[in-house]
Amino acid sequence: MGIISLEKLDHLYWLGRYTERVYTTLRNFFKIYDCLIESPEGAYRGYCERLNIPDIYTSNKQFVYSYLFEGENPDSLLSNMNRAYDNAIVLREEISSKVLSYIQLALDTIEAGKSTTAPVFDLQPVLDYLLAFWGCADDYVEMEDCRNIMKCGKYVERLDLYIRLNYNMKDIEKEFNKLVHRIQKTHMCYNMDNLDRLTEMMNRKADWKTEYQEALCYLGGIIEVR
Amino acid sequence: MRELIDHTEGINRLLARYGVKFGLYKNGTFHEQLFPFDAIPRVISHEQFLYLEKGLIQRVNALNLFLEDVYGEKKIIRDGVVPEEFVFSSSGYLPECEGMTPPKKIHSHISGIDLVLGKDGDWYILEDNLRIPSGASYPMIAREICRQASPETFRNNPIVDNRNYAKLLQEVMEYVNTGGVPVIMTPGRYNAAYFEHSYLAERTDSELAMCTDLFVEDNYLYFRDYRGKKQQVGVIYRRISDEYLDPMTFLPESLIGVPGIMDVYRSGHVAIVNAPGNGVADDKGIYYFVPKMVKYYLGEEPILKNAPTYLPFYEEDRKYVLDNLEKLVVKDVAEAGGYGVIFGNELSREKLAEMKQLIEKESRRFIAQEVIDFQDMSIMEGDEPVPRKADLRAFVLSGEKTKVWASGLTRFSRNPDSFVVNSSQGGGFKDTWVLSR
Repeated sequence: MGIISLEKLDHLYWLGRYTERVYTTLRNFFKIYDCLIESPEGAYRGYCERLNIPDIYTSNKQFVYSYLFEGENPDSLLSNMNRAYDNAIVLREEISSKVLSYIQLALDTIEAGKSTTAPVFDLQPVLDYLLAFWGCADDYVEMEDCRNIMKCGKYVERLDLYIRLNYNMKDIEKEFNKLVHRIQKTHMCYNMDNLDRLTEMMNRKADWKTEYQEALCYLGGIIEVR
Repeated sequence: MRELIDHTEGINRLLARYGVKFGLYKNGTFHEQLFPFDAIPRVISHEQFLYLEKGLIQRVNALNLFLEDVYGEKKIIRDGVVPEEFVFSSSGYLPECEGMTPPKKIHSHISGIDLVLGKDGDWYILEDNLRIPSGASYPMIAREICRQASPETFRNNPIVDNRNYAKLLQEVMEYVNTGGVPVIMTPGRYNAAYFEHSYLAERTDSELAMCTDLFVEDNYLYFRDYRGKKQQVGVIYRRISDEYLDPMTFLPESLIGVPGIMDVYRSGHVAIVNAPGNGVADDKGIYYFVPKMVKYYLGEEPILKNAPTYLPFYEEDRKYVLDNLEKLVVKDVAEAGGYGVIFGNELSREKLAEMKQLIEKESRRFIAQEVIDFQDMSIMEGDEPVPRKADLRAFVLSGEKTKVWASGLTRFSRNPDSFVVNSSQGGGFKDTWVLSR
């Protein structure tokens, strides 16, 4: 153990991205779920627009089910968790069986939740498992490069979602600083121009509502993996 | 022990959590399936294990000598002990390996020998697996969890710790290593035994590599990292079949494999575990001759028995098989994984006649065996123990010395009417305890 192939680099990075995608979107979903209680039909549309995912849903109720549990829906929580699993399963010897087990538990929990009438209750453990995954990764992923690559994926994804979902500037700046710090610790190729442009946007406190697409474009091109 | 059995569900839950699965293709689609664990162990007494150990070491040593001979001097053929038809027409015989001597002359580093315990109390060898036998990881991880579930059981019984398999494997890989990092090569996550590949890589501190991570340069094998740096590979425990190992030597149309790896191997610059070409020795037709190999190479009487086997290739045997087909089990030598196994007593009159015709026409393709009436083992079905057929895959590791792992994979059929225990056909597994006294 000690060599990270290009293929593994790709899996580590996307494992970071997909676990973060599930974590942040689920946290946001919990807020939306609450809003949908009193909102008119179609109240989820703004959320879809902001995330730039197609509105394939026919009602609030159908949105809740499909967005969480439909394996055929590529934007669903289940699909994203499956992608996290697909990347994790090929990394057992890098991340260890212990760390991998939290991905398995999170996936099993979403699968088991398909018949739930209270998704917020039943999916809460998914957040717990993902937090445990990252905590465990700090303890059990022995190669620092592996941890750094995964965390780069995590912060790119978090920033992407925070910008799309219009989080406040302070949160975005905090995550951006974490990303910059982490990138510098890895030996991955990264796009210096994109990083500079994003830094410039941060420094001038860009208006994310109007400039988010430009920011996402720079962010998406920072790390050069497949 | 009762306490351990009461935790069966919890043990299976933890096995699921750790991804203890195997892959299956059904209707062209890949599925991952849990491998059901039954907590009632197979118990092998100390004396019984000493007997098995001796017999297995003897058998594997003879098989290794056979492989060295058959790709070298071919004395056993010249001396008429094994007919050449059985060697050169075997699909496992690879002319490309002629004249090749692997590092330290070890061909089968990891041998999976399948045995059953007959009702007469004797062990019978059903088959030798000398290519890429899988299954050791399951009892390894199950033991770890069983010890957590019921420490009392392990405190109160003299059970040999089986969690040293990774260490034994590491020792073997280190012994044949030609100088470089150890690598476990997997065809990828959609392979049936992918769990095992990744688990063994984790436990042996080896690199788990896909074919695309490896390349040959100046007749050495290298692993390339994401920064473009290369590290020499000294030993590769490959978990892909011979024919996909090197498209330059075997299947030119294959998209997997490492081009040129066979040249590196031929030059002695990398050890391949297990050596290519071993299929000739675990061919179901060659199985018949293994007791003869023991006598020929070692000058010893075989300790372990084969199941009584007939080769329709020989006229006398063919006559017996055709006359007694309804009470025999027929195996297609080209099949594996429990496929191609036909029980004569399950065939209709028409099918029996068809089978006889086929045996007459393609006598080299089949072997026939007496159906061993093997001992049932108890498994839990709900709260009740029920009897089921079970076999034992013993693992023999050949490095500086030949050693038998003090455990093994006990597979059982979940179907009360079936003798087929393969996981791919719905079987489950048990831990195998070897007692230390």
